[in-house]
Amino acid sequence: MSGPRRAAPGGRARVLLGLLLALLMLLPFVVNPYLLSVLTLILYLAYVGQAWNVMMGFAGQLSLGHSLYVGLGAYVSAALFVHYGVPPALGFLAAILVALVFGAAIGFLAFRFGVSGVYFALLTIAFAEFTRIGFDHFDWVGGSGGFFLKVAQRDYNDLVNLRGSPEMFYYLLLAMTAGCFLLCHRLMQSRIGFYWLAIREDQEAAQAVGIDVFRYKMLAVMLSAALASLAGVFTAFFNNNLFPFQIFGIEKSIEIILGPIIGGLGTLFGPILGAFVLTVLAEGLRGTMEALGVVLPGVKQVFYGICLLFVIMFLPHGIWPSLRRRLGLDSDGGR
Amino acid sequence: MTSTSSKSARRLPGVTRRTFTGSAIAAAAVAGVAPFNIVRGQAAALKVGVILPKSGPQAFFGQSCQRGIDIAPALLAEMGYNVKLDVTSVDFETNVDLARSRAEKLVNDGAHVLIGPFDSGAAGAIAQVAEQKGVPFMINIAAAPQITEQGYKYVFRNFPTAPMLIGNGLSLMKEFFKATGATPKTAVFMHVNDTFGQASARGVEALFPRLDMPFKILETISYDPAARDLSVEVAKAKASGAEMVMLVSRLNDSILLVREMVKQRFEPMGIISPGSPGMYEEQFFTTLGKFSEYCVTNVPWYNPKSEIAQKVAGAFRKQFPNDRLIGHIFNVGFSFESMMIVADAYQRAKSTNGQALAEALRATKIDKRVMIGGAIQFNEKGQATTIASAALQNRNLEPKVVLPAEAQELKPVFPVPGWNNRG
Repeated sequence: MSGPRRAAPGGRARVLLGLLLALLMLLPFVVNPYLLSVLTLILYLAYVGQAWNVMMGFAGQLSLGHSLYVGLGAYVSAALFVHYGVPPALGFLAAILVALVFGAAIGFLAFRFGVSGVYFALLTIAFAEFTRIGFDHFDWVGGSGGFFLKVAQRDYNDLVNLRGSPEMFYYLLLAMTAGCFLLCHRLMQSRIGFYWLAIREDQEAAQAVGIDVFRYKMLAVMLSAALASLAGVFTAFFNNNLFPFQIFGIEKSIEIILGPIIGGLGTLFGPILGAFVLTVLAEGLRGTMEALGVVLPGVKQVFYGICLLFVIMFLPHGIWPSLRRRLGLDSDGGR
Repeated sequence: MTSTSSKSARRLPGVTRRTFTGSAIAAAAVAGVAPFNIVRGQAAALKVGVILPKSGPQAFFGQSCQRGIDIAPALLAEMGYNVKLDVTSVDFETNVDLARSRAEKLVNDGAHVLIGPFDSGAAGAIAQVAEQKGVPFMINIAAAPQITEQGYKYVFRNFPTAPMLIGNGLSLMKEFFKATGATPKTAVFMHVNDTFGQASARGVEALFPRLDMPFKILETISYDPAARDLSVEVAKAKASGAEMVMLVSRLNDSILLVREMVKQRFEPMGIISPGSPGMYEEQFFTTLGKFSEYCVTNVPWYNPKSEIAQKVAGAFRKQFPNDRLIGHIFNVGFSFESMMIVADAYQRAKSTNGQALAEALRATKIDKRVMIGGAIQFNEKGQATTIASAALQNRNLEPKVVLPAEAQELKPVFPVPGWNNRG
């Protein structure tokens, strides 16, 4: 393909992304509080999905315990705020640091001793579980009884202390999601991104051509952990209460990975699309059933299962790669 | 819109790869728009939004609470409450993030008051929405004390906090010994080491010295609730020489523990729980038969002597003939009371305005109630303070209230007969 033809889809992608971003920035002015809460949920799932995608989608390392990093980020920032008055604008650095340490420990244990594939996935679950149990008995942060942040009604938005309106949290999450998207975009176009790709496709071949596999896998795990911990900081100050079984639970980890799988593993836009499709369809399904007067608890979980089944059967690479082709964005610019 | 959505769903099995994405997005757009157009309710009705975990890990409890909500409108009308209640129930799937979103949805759809959610984390999230929107929130079941320590103006809780639960349970033990005229001098404290068990153990540890308990704890033994064999733990408890077993359990381990005690011929004066599930549950009776007899649990419970409780029991049996009341009464009782409190406040406020309802809720005084305790009232923090615990003793394969005296069904028995002399 010639240069101009290659550039065209990338330019179109940028225009579409710009429009999407503009739309997302305008939405809080026109939607009601409920829709805003749904949009916040979508952005949250999109953000954590992107964080997980760095590790699994880009570098091929399956983590089924990503709630670990979310939980650590949440507890570290909340504890610093409650006990020492450290605002989350600074506390997030400590949250990242702790998540990095845990990510490094898991990565080191696994990659140094050749733990890979499903065994690596089991290791990630094990870490999340024993951290949950540890926090159950960690009285300094409330143990199993929960850790509560003082809630105060304010007339203004305090971004430093993350105290404010749902709109403030929405825009914060939008900025995080956009930032993460740009970071992933840069990474995918960098040498690191190509090394990750090589490792994901064939680790032995990557090693044979001189890629420091250990180093780059560690980098993926640690970056993913750091990004996920920021989602935890958001969760802590948005919900204002933390319970180990809720934030470190396996259900949370599964929730994180569904978006990227449905949207498209290893793609830039897949986690965002997956989060949008799953949340909107689930909310729509629930609302439709409500309107019809049908009460079927758990129908959303069944629906998620069916979605997964269809994606695996008909769109094994997720929705985004297929949609990308249809939109004429099938080049690096539309990843 | 709805029909279009369902048509799309029916076509899905036949889609090709090429059309799937298009269909999915179309369905998303169609289905996503549908719920936002729902309009319901009538001018004169109080719109009650109920948020419960009807799926996920807490599904049983959420569905159990829902039964208490379901029987409420008709029964409250029968009881003389001249209010119309328009109830909308939603499921937050045991997910705190969704609890907040569901609360926003209910308020957006016009709910005047929120009830729920059988979970402290979810209660914390919903409380923030309620406070922001000025919509009263009546908590049916959630024990974390911090929820009512935040200075909220629209949050009310008709359920004891965790320290109140353990405190009530321990205090009731003293009354139990006084009523039977037999007090053990020593006990072994056995508890599960899960979240609930550890929290209870900490509560016992903190409150035991303050309450001047008449017996001494010789040993504390914790164990895994998923353990398949408790022979070592029971042997250790027997070897301690304690006269009584104080137990914080779950269901399966309580069954295992009693079986092992029978096997090892460990016959203390009795097994008493200061407040935990297990020994008053259906499965405990059906599995252990006569060995389930005489075990004691101190928990908040319905008052079988109360006129309203009897009406609730009757309505429950009528509406859910296949369910056994004993398995649901705890959740049903508190959930029904939440509805009753809200109806009472609305009747007095004569307005659906959030502030008027909150003021009416703050002035609540309902003498006749379902659960054991004093009149339903809230303190300045919105916390109900008069809920008491009952001592339930298993008799004739059912938990029976043996204390307090005003709710007593049978006289308490302590020390209990030996294993072979039961049934």
